[in-house]
Amino acid sequence: MDEKPNPVYKDERYGQSRELSYSYDKTGNYEKTVGFHGEPDRVIIQQAWDHFNERITEAKEKVLAGKVSPIAYYMEKNLVDTLSLSMLAGISIWRVKWHFRPRVFNRLKTKTLEKYASAFNITVEELKKVE
Amino acid sequence: MDPKKILINYAHHQAGHCESGATSNLFGFYGHDLSEPMAFGIGNGLYFSYIPFLKVQYAPMISFRNLPNVVFKRSADYLGIDATIIKKFKEPKAAMLALDRNLEKGIPTGMQVGCFNLTFFPPEYRMHYNMHNIVCFGKEGDIYHISDTVMETPQTLTYEDLVRVRYAKGPFAPNGKMYWINSIPKELDIKSAVKKGISKTVYEMTKIPFPLIGVRGLRWMAKDLKKWPVKHGYEKASFYLGQILRMNEDFGTGGAGFRYIYGSFLKESGELFNNPELLETSDMMGKTANKWREFTYIGARNCRNRSKPEEDYSMLGNMLGEIASMEENVYKKLDKILL
Repeated sequence: MDEKPNPVYKDERYGQSRELSYSYDKTGNYEKTVGFHGEPDRVIIQQAWDHFNERITEAKEKVLAGKVSPIAYYMEKNLVDTLSLSMLAGISIWRVKWHFRPRVFNRLKTKTLEKYASAFNITVEELKKVE
Repeated sequence: MDPKKILINYAHHQAGHCESGATSNLFGFYGHDLSEPMAFGIGNGLYFSYIPFLKVQYAPMISFRNLPNVVFKRSADYLGIDATIIKKFKEPKAAMLALDRNLEKGIPTGMQVGCFNLTFFPPEYRMHYNMHNIVCFGKEGDIYHISDTVMETPQTLTYEDLVRVRYAKGPFAPNGKMYWINSIPKELDIKSAVKKGISKTVYEMTKIPFPLIGVRGLRWMAKDLKKWPVKHGYEKASFYLGQILRMNEDFGTGGAGFRYIYGSFLKESGELFNNPELLETSDMMGKTANKWREFTYIGARNCRNRSKPEEDYSMLGNMLGEIASMEENVYKKLDKILL
């Protein structure tokens, strides 16, 4: 437990909230303290986000190179896999994988695009491009 | 009174564990002062399971807490309280209507939600974790007042956001699950509830005939941990190790995989019944929790240098094995205590 936020996090918005935690000291008392997370906790959380961000940038590069459709990028951005995405959008997993091809994605109906857009909580226009 | 504005006089207290915190707060609303560790211990919050073939966020699933809703259900059962749990609503609209009706009656209602779309949640925790619990205690038009025990103060959510989090998808999807208390008798038989709670926890941690749950699961994970660097390479092994630590320390815990809270429960009940043996187990549990904390410190140092681990994985595995033995001693001792 630290009193002040420390600079392990790369994103400035992270680590602003205080949490309650318990501890046990040598005299046999359990104590409740409210404070910011310590350094080890930040290291492991940042590790997870590093991993996710790597995947997101990789997907973005692929989309810009024209290898996959923007659905793959938004899927990584929402931290879901194909199975969860098919559940979220209500489209079967095989069709989701089929829609990863840019050529297929470009001729999708608006209705299907709307399903994806609502799953990602964005508009159809946003779905068509990678910001 | 304006029919659109409802605000129940519900006291929000911060807690280490989302569900036992919600349970304790709900009990407090009905005039029973049940502390968070007490709710946690009676409701069997303590648990361990390791499921290597199921992946959550690209790493094996490791859980330090019981299945969602167990804490509330068991603590209500063991204390003899009239509570309602609705497991599933097919239609989101029906789920929201049921919530609105409850609020009109003045009943604060607990819900299971997913974390990813919780707008007020700290951004670093917004991952797909579907076992979070919140309590709704008020409504103004489209805005719902939410008590989330991870946060210091009560928060608000809009209707759309609430529907989205209540129907989050993925493993352990909430499906709009909600629960509330109908009535509480004036006198609660805490002693028999504590007895039931302890024996159930001992059963779940040591006697379930399946090798991936409880102390045996912990040993299995220790064995696997030693193999990870050879099997997956240092990069992935470090990410998997990080997953153990994240589940242990960060996802709505009071630290050390709830071992501190459980030790606190043992101490509180030992003082309540004047039982020196329970106090002794509480001390053992506290030491185990400190060992868990040490494991986190060493593990986090490994996670920092991903490709060049400072401490050996076999040493970490041995440490986990040691923790498993320490915990087993606690449960064996608890099994023998007669309350």
